[in-house]
Amino acid sequence: MILDPIGTLISLLTSFGVAAMIALSLNLEYGLGGIPNFGKALFVSIGAYTAGVTYTRLLPLLAGQAAPYPCGAGMSQALQVRTEIMRTLPAVGLTNFLMTLVIAAFIGGIVGYLASYPALRLKDEWFLGLVLLASSEVVRIVVRGAEPVICAHNGLSGLSQPFVFLPTAQLRAAAFAGMTLLAAALCYWFAQRVARSPYGRMLKAMRENSDVASGLGKPMARTRASVMVIGSAMAAVAGVFFVTNIGFASANDYVVGLTLDIWVMIVLGGLGNMRGALLGAAIITLLDRATAIAAIQANMLGSQFDFNYARYILFALILLVMLRYRRQGLLPEQLDTTGAGKFLTKLRRQDVASQKATVNRHA
Amino acid sequence: MLDLRTVRKHFGRLAAVAGVSLRVEAGEIVGLIGPNGSGKSTLLSTIAGAYCPDDGEILLDGQPIGGLAPDQIFARGLARSYQDPSLFFRMSALDNALLPARNQRGERARQALWRGRWWGQERANTAEAAAILHDLKLEARAQAPAADLSGGQMKLLEIGRTLMGEPRLLLLDEPTAGVAPGLAYTIFEEIERMRRLHRLTFLIVEHRLEILFDFVDRLYVMHLGQVIADGKPAEIEKNALVREVYFGE
Repeated sequence: MILDPIGTLISLLTSFGVAAMIALSLNLEYGLGGIPNFGKALFVSIGAYTAGVTYTRLLPLLAGQAAPYPCGAGMSQALQVRTEIMRTLPAVGLTNFLMTLVIAAFIGGIVGYLASYPALRLKDEWFLGLVLLASSEVVRIVVRGAEPVICAHNGLSGLSQPFVFLPTAQLRAAAFAGMTLLAAALCYWFAQRVARSPYGRMLKAMRENSDVASGLGKPMARTRASVMVIGSAMAAVAGVFFVTNIGFASANDYVVGLTLDIWVMIVLGGLGNMRGALLGAAIITLLDRATAIAAIQANMLGSQFDFNYARYILFALILLVMLRYRRQGLLPEQLDTTGAGKFLTKLRRQDVASQKATVNRHA
Repeated sequence: MLDLRTVRKHFGRLAAVAGVSLRVEAGEIVGLIGPNGSGKSTLLSTIAGAYCPDDGEILLDGQPIGGLAPDQIFARGLARSYQDPSLFFRMSALDNALLPARNQRGERARQALWRGRWWGQERANTAEAAAILHDLKLEARAQAPAADLSGGQMKLLEIGRTLMGEPRLLLLDEPTAGVAPGLAYTIFEEIERMRRLHRLTFLIVEHRLEILFDFVDRLYVMHLGQVIADGKPAEIEKNALVREVYFGE
């Protein structure tokens, strides 16, 4: 099989952008805040489900058309309507996409806020991790059985990316990759700013010992809620890019495995380091794609070995090796949170310089 | 300054604090002693808001604080330290000292995004924290992870960092636990210095009575969740009941 190098690169960049956004969100929640969010797939799926609703209800409305029921007998007609709108009315398609991002972020934020509440009762953060893991599965199973969101177990196709009106496939993919990377860059800027601020210091303190941080005047309930809102909104936005990249929404895409992949990214890259999250996302995305391509190639050569399963073994090995030999990740967290340490060094240098000047004057 | 009126705290059927009343006046160093399991640490945790009292009143400057969240109590000027060093170990000593600063801009996510809004205050706080670390002889370790400090340095940092929150009353739970005798004395000298310099008030749980008695103004003695005696160190030393329950004489 001959690979299209440019097409593969564009596709990789898009996947990296999506993975980076989710990894950054988890690194804020767990890497800095110590909240073990094992329900990350839930918050990503919120973006996908939101897109499922907006593409089938909001998009036709924006185009001034009736919105046919997207599931069952009306499925093909509804698909035709939204595909046609996306192809012929680019402004409507883009508006719908941007509105989907905003709505997904809003819903993700609200669900994240609500999810932070069990943490107030659950003294051990890992119980919250289990609650989120279970919630993620419950929501997925409910959506898989409930038709109105993404047509239950059938899933929903035709959730195209907003540049579908462009003339060539490569141009469409490149434009969408650019948009995804721009969103990932914004998320990185946001996460980095937050991490390297007094708020980031408070998150670290919450991770280290929330009781002590509370005893030092820091409102832990509010802090926990706010980082869950930020992380969940970011993950939901990533979910919109994820689903429109593949063009198809299925509840089966948001299983625990997705959450675990993101965990491997931040453990590998560096907990609490936002550049580490990007590095982890890049490595895992590459490995994911490499094993997928290897699986296809091996299959074509008649191999009995399925490289898709090798991926799971590889990720588990990465996790084990990192936890055993380099718990801080490839790029460890910076000790000087806000730059205060650097400022202190500068203060000392000035102090030493002024003392020397005084001595010289007296000499 | 601190006034406890028949405070009770139960865990199931166990009365950890069984009707404790005590007063701490502004500027005093008051000791709280008693055998292990007498309820001293539980009482400190109840005053500081870690536990909600089942009954009784806890007043700080005449205002009830019983049942408030620890951060609300801290905001009213009461800070505490713990028996085991409770630093944020993976953070630098400087960050540990900076955390308790009051009204720190940039502690909300929205403000955090705009460095210009909080950096000026952060620099001023850093200079203040550096001065505290300097007084504690920890300046050279300011940028080291708190986990790398010695046991005594950890204790000093834990007590000293509360100054950033401008407290008026400090509750210290065994400030010299696990510390070499020489350094234990230094820690109490530091406490005395903080009282004079910052006009602080202290309520201290401590087992090293030979040091404690040199520094406290008054003492309360607890046994089985109740206060069984109070008075000046010399009076407590002579108290027959205290000698019986505490020293087994």
